[in-house]
Formats: sequence, structure tokens, C-alpha cells
Amino acid sequence: MHLKQILTKNKKLFIKKWFQATINTYPAQSAKVLGKDSNRFDNPVGAVTHETIEDVFNLIIGDFNREILEKTLDPIIRIRAVQAFCASEAVSFVFSLKKIGEDILDDSLIREFDKLVDEIALAAFNKLMKCKEEIFLLKATESKRRIHRAFERAGLVTELTEEDLLGSKKS
Amino acid sequence: MSDEIKPDELLDKIDYGPRSESGSKSEPASWMDTSVQIRPGMYCYAAKAESVETLSLPNARPWNPLEDDWKLPDNWQEILHQGIKDRLEKFRTFKVFMDICVRCGACADKCHFFLGTGDPKNMPVLRAELLRSVYRNDFTTAGKILQKIPGGQKLNGARPLTLDVLKEWWYYLFQCTECRRCSVFCPYGIDTAEITIMGRELLNLIGLNIDWIATPVSNCFQTGNHLGIQPHAFKDMIDFFVEDIEEVTGVNVEPQMNIKGADILFITPSGDVFADPGTYTCEGYMILFKYLKDKYDLNVTWSTYASEGGNFGFFTSHETMKRLNAKMFAEAKRLGVKWILGGECGHMWRVINQYMDTMNGPADFLEEPVNPITGTKFENSKSTKMVHITEFTADLIKHGKLELDKSRNSNRIMTFHDSCNPARGMGLLDEPRYIIENCCDHFYEMPPNTIRELTFCCGSGAGLNAGENIELRMAGGLPRANAVKYVHEKFGVNTLGTICAIDRAALPTLCEYWVPEVEVYGIHELVGNALILPGEKKRTEDLRFEPLPGVEEEEDE
Repeated sequence: MHLKQILTKNKKLFIKKWFQATINTYPAQSAKVLGKDSNRFDNPVGAVTHETIEDVFNLIIGDFNREILEKTLDPIIRIRAVQAFCASEAVSFVFSLKKIGEDILDDSLIREFDKLVDEIALAAFNKLMKCKEEIFLLKATESKRRIHRAFERAGLVTELTEEDLLGSKKS
Repeated sequence: MSDEIKPDELLDKIDYGPRSESGSKSEPASWMDTSVQIRPGMYCYAAKAESVETLSLPNARPWNPLEDDWKLPDNWQEILHQGIKDRLEKFRTFKVFMDICVRCGACADKCHFFLGTGDPKNMPVLRAELLRSVYRNDFTTAGKILQKIPGGQKLNGARPLTLDVLKEWWYYLFQCTECRRCSVFCPYGIDTAEITIMGRELLNLIGLNIDWIATPVSNCFQTGNHLGIQPHAFKDMIDFFVEDIEEVTGVNVEPQMNIKGADILFITPSGDVFADPGTYTCEGYMILFKYLKDKYDLNVTWSTYASEGGNFGFFTSHETMKRLNAKMFAEAKRLGVKWILGGECGHMWRVINQYMDTMNGPADFLEEPVNPITGTKFENSKSTKMVHITEFTADLIKHGKLELDKSRNSNRIMTFHDSCNPARGMGLLDEPRYIIENCCDHFYEMPPNTIRELTFCCGSGAGLNAGENIELRMAGGLPRANAVKYVHEKFGVNTLGTICAIDRAALPTLCEYWVPEVEVYGIHELVGNALILPGEKKRTEDLRFEPLPGVEEEEDE
């Protein structure tokens, strides 16, 4: 059987293990709570993590490109980008798939599977950088937007306008 | 929850650090033995020495939380010990809250900071345990006996107040927005916000505040508002709003300023005057007051002295809160008004509703508030003499006293974020919704476990809306944003209504990160757009100078 057929067959198991491995990147006591299958509004991190992992897995068993992969990874990376993870820890959950693959797949398929995981990892890293850049930009421009714009509208500041300060793009 | 985390686990087995993938991490140490790691992005800068000096608060000096030496007074432990002792004697709630927690864990997964950051020390029970562990060690008989027995401290969940413990206090007490969501779930009714309030008071005794609180407090004390804007600049901003409103409506809404003998004094957070998008809410108030003046000859005056409704003293100490709050009654007395109307703000209302009367009352020179237009008695404001503007406006609408054109807001697909303090601190739940429904065509609630008493905080309240702690704010705001995203995707919601100045400042950034298609509006901005002013021209733009719904199509035809 081809790799993708085997992945499809074992989808549930992969998703279950990958979700648990991802939640285990949190401190043990938090993982207990975040790993619960509770209401998605009571436990947004757990719910979004589960949904994203499922979506990403569904994507890689079909056809995909880097761009779609990044978009699919967005919800989980967006969360991890603002939590107490360094960059490697933020994307480390992707690599836990390799270990899961080793446990489930036949040796002959491991190399091919690892390549898939590498694709996810690269997309995750791109997404993480984009989220971090967004955060830095929000940090840099927030007070200007709030205070500067109001004063500028009132003609109380005569230096650069907010548009000049931010460039043509708002975010 | 209680079946998930057992008390002994809470005491013993909390592993603070994120796990590494390599699996090399050693056995988790007890949370009480793990020293705090202060992470950039999660903490706010230290209070400036000048701001602390202005307020005559202790230990003004430059210091940096990332450095080892926090430049504390030599006897800091003694100061804190005495501080705890004083407060235990003075505040019954503090004593009770220190004693009665059984660590059932019901609060553990209810905090937005815990849910967003995944940091177990943000579980409300553990945040409070930071203080309780020291309380048990130093102030309980059991603690005093047990500390003499090997292993006794651990058995009692007690620990001495060391420098590491102090740093942990500082880090986590400024990762709580005092929103009180956890207290809704506590079977004993412990108000964890009060524990944070006490903790911050204690930290202030040795000069450990953050600048986003200390400098606004200092400005407020010296100049009257958070940004330190002087009276003439305050007036300039209001004049500028008059010009903008005239451009949109064709009506000059020049407000009354510092008028003695007016019927009502109006006080709002200065964020409404100086920060977008609160400025549009401010324009909404001005349009409403002009309408009431023209139609019913009601005189509402603004004040350049009481130019701040917010009170960051609340996040400093009860004495500081009292000093800043005093100007409200003082100005009402000087102007000789009948009662006070308050703008859309969050913590301002917890201070007014729960503390003002005790601190600076009784305001027996004011009348029990009655709406002169409808005759409604505002029973909730009987003692404070201060009415929330959404209660006032909802009452006017209910009695058919306002002419509103909802179609001007028909492009706003609304949801409503209950601000923590008005919702949980004073039970103001339905009035803002009533106004929205009368000013807009489309309104969708977020899921029930995220609104009303169960509302999730914006993640930036209680003085934490700084720039340097943006990761903390984005993580803390995640549960709120997650619910906004849901109604955006399900119903096409494009506008988040709110009645708090901090929300209006914090939520646009939060939305931009998590759900960028949603804009943030104050409720009276919607009123300002919908209200038909006597003698107005045909409006084509809203207060943000965006075309009104239908106008672009008309022009195209």
C-alpha cells in the first residue's frame, strides 16, 4: 500500500497521538486541563489544537502546497506564537509526528513520511515568523494608532501623519 | 474540574516550565520550589521613579524587573509582614479568603490567562496560593508549629517569603486583570480579584508597581486624567469633536463645560476624549446631550476638573483609589448639580458601585437620581447618586423619548462584549443590549458561556493594557477572541460593541491579531449615528466619516 493510503487508514490513531503529543508540550498540570474534550469556548487552546491537527492531517493525505499548509496551520501556530514557548518549542509539536510515524508505519515508509513531516515543519516555521512579525508590528503601532491618530485628527500634532508613520499598510 | 486536579497535586506536583521535546527534563519540582522566569512580552515595565514620587508612595527609584537587584529596602520582609498583618486585621474578606479555600479546583480552568497562556500558575487557585503559602507559614498557628517539624511546611503548603517568592508574586499578580470570572465558579464565593488587589497593595509598600499604572495615577493626581492632559487641551479636543459632528450632522452640538447649576454632571474615562475609537463614543454622548437639551431642556455639564472617570488608583492601593475618586463628589458639590451621570467604562464602575460611597460618601448634597424626562427613579444609584449612561439611555428609549434611525447602523452586524466590571461588578447586563437592539438591525450573541456573568475578559484590564506585554494580552484575550471569531464566521458579525474604555483601546488590537475583520464600537457611537437631531441635515456619513449604508448606491444611481 502507498503511504497516503496507510495514513488514511490510520488517521484516527495518528490524530489522537499527535494531539496528545502536542498538548504534552504544555506543563503537565495544564496539559491535563487543555487535553480535555470540553466545550470549545471553555477550552479554546485544546479545541483549536485538535481541530488544526485534524485539518493538517487531512490535508497531507491529499494534495497540498506550502501555501495551503501554512494557512491550515495558522490557528495552532497563532496561539503558540503568544505563549511561553521559544521558537523551537512552538513548532516542536510537528516533529513529534516522526516518532508517532515510527511506531505505526512500516520501516520502508518512514523516509517518505519524514519528508512529509519536514514539509509541515517548514510551513509551521514560516507561519510562526509571520505571527511574530504581526505581534511586533502591533506592538510598534498600537499606541500611535490610539493616541496619535486622535491628536492628529484634532490638529494637535503637526509632524508625520499616522499613515506616514505606518507606511501605506495598516497592519 | 475537581476530579481532574487533586489538592495534593495542586500543592506538590505543579511543573512550571514548558516541557522540552528531548525528554531530558528532570522530574518536576514542586511549584513552590521553582523560581520564576520573567519573560519579556509577559510583564510590564517597572514604575518610573518620578511617578511614584509624585504620589508620595514608598521606595521611588529606577529599577528593572529583569535585573537581579530590585533595589528593595533592607527590611522589605518586615514591611510586607506588617503589611499583611495590618490588612488581615482591617479587611475581613482578606482574612476569610486566606483561610477558607479548600483547593477544590473549580476556578482552575476559568481564568482567561490560564486558558490562553497554559501557565499553571495562572490558575486562580494557584495565583492566590502564592500569597496563601506565605500566610500559612507566618500567620497561622498550624504553620508556626509545623515549620518546626521536618516536612511540616510542605504538609501545610507553606513557605517563607523569600526574594524568589516575592518576584513570583510580582510576576503573577500583574498577570491578573481582576476580572472576577473565577469567583463566579467558587463554591465559597472567594473573590480572587480581592486577593490580587491585596497583593498589589502589598507590592506597592516596597515600590513594586508597573509604569502603565503608576504614571497614569500620577498624571491623574496632578492634572486630573491618565494622560496628564491639561484643561485647555481637554476643551480643545471636545471643540474638535464639535466641528466633526457638525460636518456629519450639520448641527453644532457645543457642550456645556464647567456650568454651575446644571442638572447633571457627566464624567467619562479620558480615553473617550483622547484615544480612538473611544473618541467616536464621546461624540455619541455629545449628540445625545444636545438632543436632550433641545428637546427637553436638560442641562448636562462636562468638567475639566473631573476629567477622568477611570481610576488606576484601584490597582495601586485603596488609599490611592480614594484620593483619585474624591474629585467626582467634590466637583458635583462645586457645580451644585442634582446627580452624576457616568460614561462607558469598566473598572470606573466597580469603584463607583462598590467603593465610592464608603470611601468618599455620603453624597448627601446630591439628590437621589431621577430621570427628569421620564420620571424613572434609578434605584441602583440611590446611595452613590451616580447613574450609568446605558441605564439612562435605555430608560429614554424605553419611554419613547429618542427618535432613532436604525437604518444608519444597518451595516453593523453586532455582537456585544460584556465588560467584566459592569457585568460582574454591578449586574449591568441588559441595558446595553437593549440600546443595541434599538439602534441596530442585526445583533447576535456570543455563546452563553462567554457572555453576561460568564464573560471573558479582554485580557488587558486592571492596568495591563501596555505595549510591552503584548504576548500576555494576546494570550489572555484568546478566549474572548475565540468567541468573537465564532460569531463572525457563523453570522458574519463585523462589529464588537462594548461599554468600557479599556475594551475600546485593547480589543481593536486583539481583534486585529485573532479576527481582523471585526471592528470595535462603543454603544453610544451607535446611538450618535442613529439619533435624529432636531434640525439636522441629511446625513450621508457616520461618525467615522464612512458612507452610511445605502448612500453609495444612491450616488451611483
